[in-house]
Amino acid sequence: MSLSVALPKGKLLAGTEALWRRAGLPFPESEGRRLVIELDGVRFLFVKDMDVPTYVEYGVADCGIAGRDVLLETGADVLEPVDLGFGRCRLVVAAPRGTPFDYRRVASFRIATKYPRVAAAHFQERGVSAEVVKLNGSVELAPGLGLADGIVDVVETGRTLEENGLAPVEEVAVSSARLIVNRASYHARRTAVAALLDALRRAVAESVEAR
Amino acid sequence: MNGFGHGRVQAPPGVQCFVGEEARRRRRIEERVVSVFEGWSYEEIIPPLFDYADVFLGELSSKTYSFVGRDGSLLALRPDFTSLLAKIAAGRLLQQPAPMRLYYSGEVLRYEPPKAGRQSELFQMGCEHLGGAPPTADAEVLAIAAECLEAAGAKDYVLSLGHVGVFAGLVAESGLDAGRVEALRERIESKDEAGVRETLRGSGASARLGQALESLASFAGELGRLREAQEAFAFSPPAAAALDELGQSAGALAAAGLADRLALDLAEVRGLDYYTGLVFRAYAPGLGFEVASGGRYDSLLARFGRPLRAVGFMIGLDRLALLLERQGGLGSTSQPRAETLEPRGGLGERLRLARERRRAGARIRLDGGVR
Repeated sequence: MSLSVALPKGKLLAGTEALWRRAGLPFPESEGRRLVIELDGVRFLFVKDMDVPTYVEYGVADCGIAGRDVLLETGADVLEPVDLGFGRCRLVVAAPRGTPFDYRRVASFRIATKYPRVAAAHFQERGVSAEVVKLNGSVELAPGLGLADGIVDVVETGRTLEENGLAPVEEVAVSSARLIVNRASYHARRTAVAALLDALRRAVAESVEAR
Repeated sequence: MNGFGHGRVQAPPGVQCFVGEEARRRRRIEERVVSVFEGWSYEEIIPPLFDYADVFLGELSSKTYSFVGRDGSLLALRPDFTSLLAKIAAGRLLQQPAPMRLYYSGEVLRYEPPKAGRQSELFQMGCEHLGGAPPTADAEVLAIAAECLEAAGAKDYVLSLGHVGVFAGLVAESGLDAGRVEALRERIESKDEAGVRETLRGSGASARLGQALESLASFAGELGRLREAQEAFAFSPPAAAALDELGQSAGALAAAGLADRLALDLAEVRGLDYYTGLVFRAYAPGLGFEVASGGRYDSLLARFGRPLRAVGFMIGLDRLALLLERQGGLGSTSQPRAETLEPRGGLGERLRLARERRRAGARIRLDGGVR
């Protein structure tokens, strides 16, 4: 039976393709709008980054590639056996530069984010309750425009934050791309899953050595 | 409410309704599973639909539909059967000698957002072996689980076996604080070796322990890897004892012809406050989540004042029905054609005829004579 793999269409796609090729596995050529491509007995599903864990959790895909940030946000019950090493970034709380953002000293504050679950949990664990505003993009604009006091977002180089007059206040989590596997597929399709896992593990180890 | 009158027929999320063929299929599956329980000399127990809320502790307590009784006591609709069976074994069945073999089949209610095979209303079929020790009782329960899946018609199922004593044994004398142990447990449960490494950073755990915990996250797959695990964890007497116990049950099942159906999963470390030994889940191609799960829970009955060891498992009827549908396993459950009674004579005459045909075992259909 063929294996189904859910791949992220977004920013992790390039790294995924590079890894796949390094592992010597066939990777489907991008064919524009086609979202399901069969190749050498593997069915590739191209879906939104944030949706990959859902496809894998429900078993529609046996495996997938997802950032740890996305796994934290969706809370999907999936296996995460391999840290693929690429797509490294940090999830941080950021606020306007130069203003002391001490959320423990104010009665209420508002946080804009694409990660409402992660943000709410982060502040709850610290004994404060944030008003979380969910945005779907351009989160960095929110403090400057008065929509929020701060943001929770992913940072790679920090340049976007800087350009919008923001600075990191504290780290929420570190993230990188993960191979995720459906719990049932891990056992019920063990041979095929194990072969993919081994190939990717080897490719990751090689790229670590090469660095 | 919305102008089309749909408000009145709207169903709350998480509930289900089965009609005709769907309902027949579920009954058929239930009959097959229950006959396996009966075949292994398990006694049916039909516990109450609700009980005092404090019967259901742990993870379940936050998922109960609870309400206040007329006398002010806090009651809850049953979110599972095992707690109720434990309570009954320690109460009404106190005089009954152990071991006790009990089974149940019915609905439970849990406040759970509908998601990946979970509903608020679930139909569970399961059995509990109370007062039996490993490996005998463990092997018996696993063999029953296998037969239930076979009897229902599930193909290519796998029983993945683990033992919580391996993880518990490794961390027992590690000096790690409870928060870190829970974080480790959660990362191992996700088979995330990198996460285990990350969690252990700065914990002061020995290199040997760190390596063992990291490898625990990936000790899953062929049952043959059990021997490898026994070598890797030999330095920890409790972990070694747990593996030895698991090996005995698994070995017995393999000798009984189930070798192809077994897998190892030492990263199966959920419910550490509940399970005390064997833990297992059943998977099959076609379904993205387990169809059955169970394990040993030796400390539950003591809570009700009758310390008995216990092992059992539960099959979700909803999941099993879905699996069989996807695998095409159940076949048709259509009924024989019904005889339609011609609308001749008076209603009394037709009813007399209908009763006569029914006594002869015929399936009949009494049409209303509207023509």
